[in-house]
Amino acid sequence: MGLNYLVSLGHYVPELIVCITMFSLILIEAAHDKDATSKPLIGLTSFIGLISAFVILVLNLSKPGLSIFTNSIVIDSFGTFAKIIMVLGTLGAIYIAEQSSDIYQKLKSEFSIMAMGVLVGGMLLTSANNMLLLYIGLETLSILSYVMATLKKNNERSGEAGLKYSLYGGISAGIMLFGMSHVFGVLGTINFSEMATMIPNLTSDQMLILIPSFLLFFVGLGYKIACVPFHMWSPDVYEGSPIPVTAFFAIVPKIAGMAVIARLTMLLFNNDSLLSVSWIGALSVMAALTMTVGNISAIGQRSVKRMLAYSSIGHAGVMLLGIVVVSEIGLRSLLFYAFTYLFMTLVAFYIVSFVNDTYGNDHFDRFSGLIYKHPIMTISMIIVMFSLAGIPPLSGFVAKFNIFSAVVAKKYYVLAIIAGINSVISLYYYMKIIRLMVFKTSESENMILGLTLRNQLIIGALTVPVVTLGVFWEKIIGVAEQATLLIQ
Amino acid sequence: MHGSSHLLNWILWMPFIGVLGNLIIPSKKANAIRWWSLINTAITFILTLVLYKQFDTSVAGMQEAFNFSIPWIKQFNIFYTVGVDGISLPMILLTGLLFFICILSSWTVEKSVKGYFALFLFLQGSVMGVFLSLDFFLFYVFWEVMLIPMFFLIGIWGGENREYAAVKFFLYTFFGSILMLVGMVALYYAKGKGVDAFNILALSGGHFTDLKLSMFGTEFSFSKLFFVFMFIGFAIKVPVFPFHTWLPHAHVQAPTAVSVILAGVLLKMGTYGFLRIAYPIFPAASVHFADCIAWLGLINVIYGAFCAMAQTDVKKLVAYSSVSHMGFVMLGLAAMTIQGMNGAVLQMFNHGTSTAMMFLLIGILYERSHHRWIVRPDGSKGFGGLYTQLPKFSIVFIIAMFASMGLPGLSGFISEALIFLGIYEKYTTITVLALLGLLLGAAYLLWMFKRMFFGDVIEECKSYTDMNKREIAYMLPLCVAVIVFGIYPSPILNIMKASVGKLVTLLGTY
Repeated sequence: MGLNYLVSLGHYVPELIVCITMFSLILIEAAHDKDATSKPLIGLTSFIGLISAFVILVLNLSKPGLSIFTNSIVIDSFGTFAKIIMVLGTLGAIYIAEQSSDIYQKLKSEFSIMAMGVLVGGMLLTSANNMLLLYIGLETLSILSYVMATLKKNNERSGEAGLKYSLYGGISAGIMLFGMSHVFGVLGTINFSEMATMIPNLTSDQMLILIPSFLLFFVGLGYKIACVPFHMWSPDVYEGSPIPVTAFFAIVPKIAGMAVIARLTMLLFNNDSLLSVSWIGALSVMAALTMTVGNISAIGQRSVKRMLAYSSIGHAGVMLLGIVVVSEIGLRSLLFYAFTYLFMTLVAFYIVSFVNDTYGNDHFDRFSGLIYKHPIMTISMIIVMFSLAGIPPLSGFVAKFNIFSAVVAKKYYVLAIIAGINSVISLYYYMKIIRLMVFKTSESENMILGLTLRNQLIIGALTVPVVTLGVFWEKIIGVAEQATLLIQ
Repeated sequence: MHGSSHLLNWILWMPFIGVLGNLIIPSKKANAIRWWSLINTAITFILTLVLYKQFDTSVAGMQEAFNFSIPWIKQFNIFYTVGVDGISLPMILLTGLLFFICILSSWTVEKSVKGYFALFLFLQGSVMGVFLSLDFFLFYVFWEVMLIPMFFLIGIWGGENREYAAVKFFLYTFFGSILMLVGMVALYYAKGKGVDAFNILALSGGHFTDLKLSMFGTEFSFSKLFFVFMFIGFAIKVPVFPFHTWLPHAHVQAPTAVSVILAGVLLKMGTYGFLRIAYPIFPAASVHFADCIAWLGLINVIYGAFCAMAQTDVKKLVAYSSVSHMGFVMLGLAAMTIQGMNGAVLQMFNHGTSTAMMFLLIGILYERSHHRWIVRPDGSKGFGGLYTQLPKFSIVFIIAMFASMGLPGLSGFISEALIFLGIYEKYTTITVLALLGLLLGAAYLLWMFKRMFFGDVIEECKSYTDMNKREIAYMLPLCVAVIVFGIYPSPILNIMKASVGKLVTLLGTY
């Protein structure tokens, strides 16, 4: 038994590396308190930790799936791919935090530490195979997120963001637990694999209890990915939090939530039972609503960060479509979407961060005429905006095309059309930024601060995958195709 | 599928080589950028002429000798496939010619020269891509990519209200393309995801006629539903009433060369889409909706003509005349007869040359006057007596105007006559009404001409200079084209005949 756990630990190396990195960061921070020299070391340690976790995850991609820790954790290539995206997202967010002055100089190491913690939670969530671990993962992720939202502690909005986030989070976690207890009451197990074998053979009475219970269960997850109607917290939290935190929230918790919903759906609801039909039905309605509400709300925003927050709600809706179809193609498209979304989001927030640092806010007008001052940065931003809207030959288009094809394969034409119209709506507000940057003259002569050659190169380098993945996407879609769920 | 010739690849990628060159040349060397772009488009144009020379007019459908195909995305069976047939060749020639001329006409652009020419060549590459692609996915990518340079060309170098025009243009077309995208993916699955599931040729031929699909408990005909989707996608581009509202804005705000390309080439992409995709893939549905297409075409003809008549801005007048003339193309397409379809393709080519002349001339005039009012908002005349002031300009203008009006002996006449011949038996009423549209066309053009060129010379017109050598140089080929193809249209008709015949035969079986 003990040996078994040791063997299991061997498959759990990436998570362990992230944990160890987190603890070493705490130790380094404690050892170098009030000492300026601690900062580079913090950055270096977190980069080394994340990159080694990344390398091991990439190596694990081709390995067959298996369940460890007495079947409570599942390690499979789907989860590994999702973890790769999260690790890269964390890496990017930490780098943005290093550069941004939106996070107090003193708190930068705290940001790294908490980001690592959230990442551990996200990784746990992604591979959880029972309700208890799922809950622990979700809470690890959430509680640290609440703190991260308030990192700008002298700022009212940031405090408000943290409070809102924790209130919403607490309530939805409670609702989720309530749902879970019902599920346990009916099925008598917390293990998803066991549930999967039971669900097709339930009596109609049990089914009727389980439908609302699973929907209550979904509340906790739906709130994490900010899908409508559980999205109300997200714009305020995104706006109030410091920019690196927002970038982080837009990627890591969202991908983790998506991954776990995908796993649950594929595992439990890949059959014709009434329960599955209602789960899929509810999910597709929520996907359609999420896209539409997110995109329509984004139109009227004045702050770019808030616009990006709403647009990320819209993107969550599109990603949900990859789950709604309950198919291998759907999962593949979801992973590809998440992978491209990672780069686009990082570039967008990175640029917003510089603008915000220079002008003190990120209203649309601050972007006027940027092309005449910073061509490389502006062209990257244009590419990213077009890509987010889904214009070929950029990766955002390919991602949407994949989702479309998964949806149309299931003959859900209406959902496909709704997604398409949403793409048009989203183009409108993404174009607003492009218009300001290119067609308007700039309002001041001030150059953007901190835009050193290195940062420009990094922006450029992050934009390269946005373009290349739109043309040469064969490899990545192949990897995503191999990344399958382990279904026992 | 694998021909030995790389000619099509060169035609397609030459403009992109031009873009790279423009990006490398430092932006201070404006003249070097202009010359490089000119040489680049000249090479492309020569390549299209070589293609014309080597083209075998007896072959119906794709010319195997030029086809080129390599796999692109294996998981989806997406290929990079290019090919040419008698329907696309006239469009390729037109694109080669007009872009070359437009570079010449853009010589006076001074605002960020580098960006302008780079985007312009980028536009040419993507337009060529649309006309050359035989893979639906590739076609879609080029169809959409084209919007990006257009957006910036209108938005940066356009007139006063350019932003609104650029955004409207982009959103309209993007909306249409989304419907097309859904249709494309649906076709891919209907075809069984095989190696040819994105191949336009393999999709063609009416394989989906009897396919049904059910939504909300009702059964729909697969082909009819997706024909409508594709129709809207292409109709927005043509533009067919009621999707035409973006066109006047885009035309009026766009810089001269972009208006020329917009009217001369981009509008044809819509009708080309019908001929290449909507008709061959859904022949039964096309026949089913032929009446509808004919009536929409008629509305375009009449409505466009009346709108043109009401304009006080000469560029807007020509823009609406495009709506009217594209209506004739729609009528020819609705006829589904040999004459009608040949007429439609010929009209696409001829309208490309004549309307390009009109826009270029208006551009030349605008460079002198800096306004385009026939009648100013305060009621005074914008131009007057230009004929005595600018004799060379006026002669070219007369040729362009008569060609666009459809005067016998000039290019517009032949194509319109063919269209009417083709459509008369099937839609007599529509033919008669459309002839009225022809009359209206003559009315608004002559009226405009009278007000601008005759009468007393108004004070500010006295300072205008006549066309310079560069302007004459780029107007000359177009003048030759409208006159020669007006008398002797066979060079164009011969290349399209076999391919159009094949399509008509296909449609005839339903």
